[in-house]
Amino acid sequence: MTAQALLFTLSAIGISETAYLIKKRILFKDPFCPVGENCLAVLKSKYNKIFIIPNDILGLFFYLACAAITAFLVMDVFPLTLLSLIIKILIGVGSLISFFLTYLQFRVIKAWCFWCLMSAWTIWLMAVILLLSGI
Amino acid sequence: MNKSSFHILRVGLAITFLWIGILILKSPESWGGYLQPWAFKLLPLSLSQAMISAAILDIVIGLLLLVDQLTWLAGGLAVLHLGVVITVSGITDITVRDIGLLAGAVVVLTESLPSHLNPFLKNKNY
Repeated sequence: MTAQALLFTLSAIGISETAYLIKKRILFKDPFCPVGENCLAVLKSKYNKIFIIPNDILGLFFYLACAAITAFLVMDVFPLTLLSLIIKILIGVGSLISFFLTYLQFRVIKAWCFWCLMSAWTIWLMAVILLLSGI
Repeated sequence: MNKSSFHILRVGLAITFLWIGILILKSPESWGGYLQPWAFKLLPLSLSQAMISAAILDIVIGLLLLVDQLTWLAGGLAVLHLGVVITVSGITDITVRDIGLLAGAVVVLTESLPSHLNPFLKNKNY
């Protein structure tokens, strides 16, 4: 239950963060960068999409799926083994994509974005919780 | 109020409401045990249905707070909901937590209320 509560909390933080970025993008407003000044260089770079889907929308769907699966695991409403497998695959793929996007910031764009790093750390923390708890 | 502090409070409250909603949906009857006997007699629905309705309200409030949409409405619903919860569950060892949550919800409501709905808040910087 503790691991599920932590996973749900991190997913909710991710939902809130990606919803903020999507809202700012739709309204053509620049997001607030609490640390550093290079958020926009990253968020407006050509790497802000995977295929044609903006990263913030992909992130929102990722976090919504993780939150929903964690909630279903707690409520015990669907086959637990299947849900457990799906969340492992999701977080595993999410971690790898986060590594790639962080590498792009470090080596290619050469700028750091607070919101992107926060999202990456959120996903890596979810992976650590998943590994330690053995859900 | 500092804008970052407001958003931290908003997201924190959202997570609390969402998680409580999920826990109530998991076992509505056991959460119904917190109800005072006098409040139980006033229920127009079965205990389970009433608790499921409360859980759905918790989740709606949590979602609105989380995505920062109609935040003032979510804050208002949270204040009303917590007021009812404190009333029907009576003063117990855990009431103090609900009072803290109620105070947070009041802050979210007053800070997010559109100025045309509250003439006293016209000079806000939001």
